[in-house]
Amino acid sequence: MNNLQADNPQLRDLSSRQMAFYRFRSNPLALIGGFIVISVAIAAIFAPYLAPSPESAGSFVDFRNRHSPPSWQNPMGTDNVGRDILSRVIYGYRVSLGLVIGVLGVAVPFGVILGLIAGYFGGWIETIIMRFTDVMLALPPLAMALAITAVLSPNLINAMVAITMLWWTWHTRLIYRIVKSQMNEDYVEAALVAGASHRHILFKELLPNCFSAVAVKISLDAGFVILFGAALSFLGLGVQPPTPDLGTMVATGSEYMPEMWWQAVMPGLAILYAILGFNLLGDGLRDMLDVEL
Amino acid sequence: MNHLLDIKDLSIGFNTYGQNRPVLHKVNLYVDEGERVSLIGQSGSGKTVTMRSVIGTLPMPPGNVENGSIFYEGSSLLDLNKQERNRLKGTGISIVLQDPMLSFNPVLTIKRQMDDIVRYSDIRMGIKRSAKEREAHLIETLQKVRLQDGERILESYPMMLSGGMRQRVLIGMALLNKPKLLIADEPGTALDVTTQDEILTLLNNLVAEEGLSLLLITHNLGVVRKMADRVYVMEHGKIVETGSRDAIFQAPKHEYTKKLMGAVPPLYGDKVKTIDYKGTTPAIEVKTINKDFTTRSGFFNNKIDVFRAANDVSLTINQGDIYGIAGESGSGKTTVAKMILGLTEPNNGEIKLFGRSINEFKGTSEFRKLIQIVYQNPGSSLNPRRTVAEQLSVPLKFSGYESSQIKNRIYELLELVDLPQNYAGMYPHELSGGQKQRVAIARALSVNPKILVLDEPTSALDVLVQSTVIDLLNRLRKEFDLTYIFISHDLSLMRNFCNRVAIMFRGNIVETGSVTKIFEHPSHAYTRALLSAIPVISQEEENQKPKLNKKERDEVLASSTVMEV
Repeated sequence: MNNLQADNPQLRDLSSRQMAFYRFRSNPLALIGGFIVISVAIAAIFAPYLAPSPESAGSFVDFRNRHSPPSWQNPMGTDNVGRDILSRVIYGYRVSLGLVIGVLGVAVPFGVILGLIAGYFGGWIETIIMRFTDVMLALPPLAMALAITAVLSPNLINAMVAITMLWWTWHTRLIYRIVKSQMNEDYVEAALVAGASHRHILFKELLPNCFSAVAVKISLDAGFVILFGAALSFLGLGVQPPTPDLGTMVATGSEYMPEMWWQAVMPGLAILYAILGFNLLGDGLRDMLDVEL
Repeated sequence: MNHLLDIKDLSIGFNTYGQNRPVLHKVNLYVDEGERVSLIGQSGSGKTVTMRSVIGTLPMPPGNVENGSIFYEGSSLLDLNKQERNRLKGTGISIVLQDPMLSFNPVLTIKRQMDDIVRYSDIRMGIKRSAKEREAHLIETLQKVRLQDGERILESYPMMLSGGMRQRVLIGMALLNKPKLLIADEPGTALDVTTQDEILTLLNNLVAEEGLSLLLITHNLGVVRKMADRVYVMEHGKIVETGSRDAIFQAPKHEYTKKLMGAVPPLYGDKVKTIDYKGTTPAIEVKTINKDFTTRSGFFNNKIDVFRAANDVSLTINQGDIYGIAGESGSGKTTVAKMILGLTEPNNGEIKLFGRSINEFKGTSEFRKLIQIVYQNPGSSLNPRRTVAEQLSVPLKFSGYESSQIKNRIYELLELVDLPQNYAGMYPHELSGGQKQRVAIARALSVNPKILVLDEPTSALDVLVQSTVIDLLNRLRKEFDLTYIFISHDLSLMRNFCNRVAIMFRGNIVETGSVTKIFEHPSHAYTRALLSAIPVISQEEENQKPKLNKKERDEVLASSTVMEV
């Protein structure tokens, strides 16, 4: 601690966690993003208590009320069979978040481990893993997902499988690049000199140095997975009715455009809201953890 | 009388994380026309902040000038508007930065980068010159910095030039618009000592020829002695002492200055400590090892380039020796050390540890208990995401320690390197450079090795910290009967720390022997070239340096950097 600063008793040395939190806090957009993500998560978890008419989430019909525009009764209006769109949006977030957790829960560990191995061992292992990754990256994602769901019959699980199969590649590339640059640091060699096993170096030495990048990537990914899932549902290859899904709702609602605009626009805005939240949060985390993607 | 540059009562603070941190406190400094002034201090003392506030590149915010002013030729720099200030860039005040590689854009030719400077300053100053005229000016400037082959250099990319040439081009760029004041931030520190010496001589000549004023920012006292008329000593953002060079070097008054002077290892004279240990039992025997590195290039990987990093290297290191291996970057000293550690396989030859060939047992825990390494940069050799305790436990865990023993051993190790026990839970970034290096030394010692390879263990540290680390290493050697292999390019440190030295030059060992033999009677021209290039802090030492004639110099130094003085 230097003399000049010691003269001033209010000054204290901040830990890196405090500094990171300060950076996050002084970024209003990141705070908004965090708020949005938390609100979406709360909506998904407590859907049965929050939705004004939980029965709308099922195959409930109320033909007297169909196509009614947004009102105090139905803040987002009702759909073609009279179900409350707000309630369906809240339940729809359950599906979206479930999709995010399912896809990233499998794709991230798989991609990260492959990236670690490719970057650490190098040689022919690297060639095989990275060239395979390149091949997977070369496939147009939507066309590939369409093919998979078409073969496997369209439902939520198969949509998840399709997205997962395409998603891990990005994490492999990201981790591969980080590991390659970390391999130039002496601590890897120091661990080898200390007699550490490959497993120790991969998971205890290298993996912790990838955490912040993966955290940022995950939060940015979440938004795109929601969008991708919605796109599949829109095409009728994802979640099947009557389960409320934002993509399916946009698809059905679009038939009534433009007069009964709320049926497509409201779920669309809900998708926008969630993706915006995840992306703002991801950008905030990136500044906070100071990583390059 | 008006000074060329006059900094008055300058106080600067940084607003970071909601707190205001003072960085400079009432700094007074002036530079007269034709004068060479040095600003010295340790890293973090505020030298660079001072420099950046003069050239106007201090980021504000977070930087904040709280008090004081900076005058250049009578006009207040801090009050000028952006245009007026830009007009001074390069034409009034110019700067040479520390790292010659980072200061260039690697994808543009030298010509483009130099031409930009001239073109934009011409626009600012309202001068019209054709591309031809500008190019002639560039070549003329390159000649000033003793680069004869101007056309070829202009067409090159930065990576095609040697470190010394890049530093010269960088100085040339600073001179393009005929500035009055040249600020040099640690010139040549990133280069080898022989190249650094040439760069310093060049700067001195330029100051004399062009009538420049020089503000030199450095931590190296030897450089200051060579390069300054007047000296400012800075500590913790305050100027603690100022005076003429001779006054500061012969009779330093402030405690801090005295401490700095005392910490510089002497090269010659009475203050030199000679270690006259003579070992008898060989600990390491290296017999005629060679190492070639091959790089493949070309479309089908069919072009093979061979680079010989070690050529018939033979060494015998006795038990208890502090064996110095000196040489410039790329001379193969680290390669030899890595082969002794079993990390790199030699192409042929044999290495024995205590009579056993390392091929028999490298990679076993028995081998690791014999030899360990301390790296140059603790920032890189310690994992930033793991606590001190976690890092210290790795060699223990993989050498068969029980987890109950490990904890006690960690506290023992921390005590050994004079660190308090509560440091066990800290992360590397919470420690200072010297403390980090102590942790790295503790890690190397954790399994009680007999031999430690020290790969430039102090070159990333300030001179005051360096002396404490060296003291620690000396103490540990006595306590545990260690044998050290000390790799360094700092020969003055080697003079005081080692008992035997080998000099490496382009993969060959050109000279070995006791420290007194190498330093008092160097026989190889390269050894003499190295010794004569070391910046020292007194005239007596300067006089005792070996001399070498031009022919010898040409033989051992790269022709591109040799200059006519």
